[in-house]
Amino acid sequence: MQMPLDVQYIIELLPILLKYLSVTMEMAILGFCFAIILAVILAVVRVLKLPLLRHLASVFISFFRGTPLLVQLFLLYYGLPQVLPIFAGVDAFTAAIIGLSLHFSAYMAESIRAAIMGIDKSQMEACLSIGMTRLQAMRRIILPQAARVATPSLMNYFIDMIKSTSLAFTLGVAEIMAKAQMEASSSFKYFESFLAVALIYWAVIELFSRLQHYLEIRMNRAY
Amino acid sequence: MKQQIKFIIAALVALSSVISLPAFAKQTVNVGMSGNYVPFTFSEKDVLQGFEVDLWKEIALRSDYEVKFVLSTFSGLFGMLEAGHIDTIANQITITPARLERYVFSNPYVIDGVQIVTKKGREDITTVDDLKGKKVAVNLGSNFEEILRSIDTKKEINIITYDSGFAQDVVLGRTDAFIMDRVGSAALIKKSKLPLQLAGQPFEKIENAMPFLNKPKQIIIRDKVNAALLSMKNDGTLAKISVKWLGADVTQ
Repeated sequence: MQMPLDVQYIIELLPILLKYLSVTMEMAILGFCFAIILAVILAVVRVLKLPLLRHLASVFISFFRGTPLLVQLFLLYYGLPQVLPIFAGVDAFTAAIIGLSLHFSAYMAESIRAAIMGIDKSQMEACLSIGMTRLQAMRRIILPQAARVATPSLMNYFIDMIKSTSLAFTLGVAEIMAKAQMEASSSFKYFESFLAVALIYWAVIELFSRLQHYLEIRMNRAY
Repeated sequence: MKQQIKFIIAALVALSSVISLPAFAKQTVNVGMSGNYVPFTFSEKDVLQGFEVDLWKEIALRSDYEVKFVLSTFSGLFGMLEAGHIDTIANQITITPARLERYVFSNPYVIDGVQIVTKKGREDITTVDDLKGKKVAVNLGSNFEEILRSIDTKKEINIITYDSGFAQDVVLGRTDAFIMDRVGSAALIKKSKLPLQLAGQPFEKIENAMPFLNKPKQIIIRDKVNAALLSMKNDGTLAKISVKWLGADVTQ
């Protein structure tokens, strides 16, 4: 359609969309917290080659890296309740957070594992020589050092996660993408609506990129 | 001092939990809708509104339910109904044989026809036969998709499914026409001011109602909805809501 860009409409839409940014951020932050816990467990299990668990971890990572996030979300929200009715009680918001954490934990586990492997073997040997168990050594000595190495890539996953929350609108979560889509279909101003939502994502992620930069400087101060 | 503050907080928490427990909790009915179907259910300036929204507010009033609107993409609504996330769908759901096999329906509250819509000025499409070899948009998972596929036995129509935004694509020329209910199409053209036209006459009668899972709990809700619909029909409220959003009474 030959319609000039309606700047006024974007200015009016931005505050409406911003009201729903909290939903987006809640999903991203909660999802990231759960993902990081799960990822550390997966990574440690794989590095320490714990019997049986390591195989479970491999299958888990293989599945959640090998299938699209959208498919996982649909499986979780539309599929599972048909087989296990108890899952009908899980609302869309919770399902989205579960889906995001499972999906991203698989990726993050691999970069945490890489960070752990990057710590010199002598550190583990030194720990064992003074009588620590392998898990103690992990927790006290190896993981704190690996955290510094893994931070940049984990921040990248966090940023990716913020953007991936936009898929939650397919489950009916009223986050900013869903809102933009709905306003667009009643005003028919698709360009303006999606431009507005893009600007919000961009601004938020720019903010976190700055934070990442600051965090890296701080963590490297000791070196 | 600290002890006192702790005590006050604890007392407040205890008090608020007592207050927030209502004496007679109303049952909540979760009603699914797409929120992007003008003028039935749509959001403008962050206010959810439309024919279906007004209808359900009135049903809730008359049947003493608390209504909660759950928004999702149209194609996701039946999945949510199946999964038990919602009790029913208020989104101009047409009663079809396939759906009757699986769901129980409320009494129909909109009677309508299927309409072809094209870009303004196009004269080559006025009947279903004219759609052969053309790109025709329908809502993914809708009965219009079903109707079109049942007519198109020789697979001569290029059917394209959308979740939203198909009106825009007809204007842009990405598709030649879209198929929707006549009432909704007329209202959409009026509200959107897009250069579109109703092409030819509506070609199939459709009755729209609300689907429920065939389970005891859902059937109780269905019966209450029917009672409310009947009383709204009798006192003219249903017709009033229809005229407000659609400019005509399409409920008979």
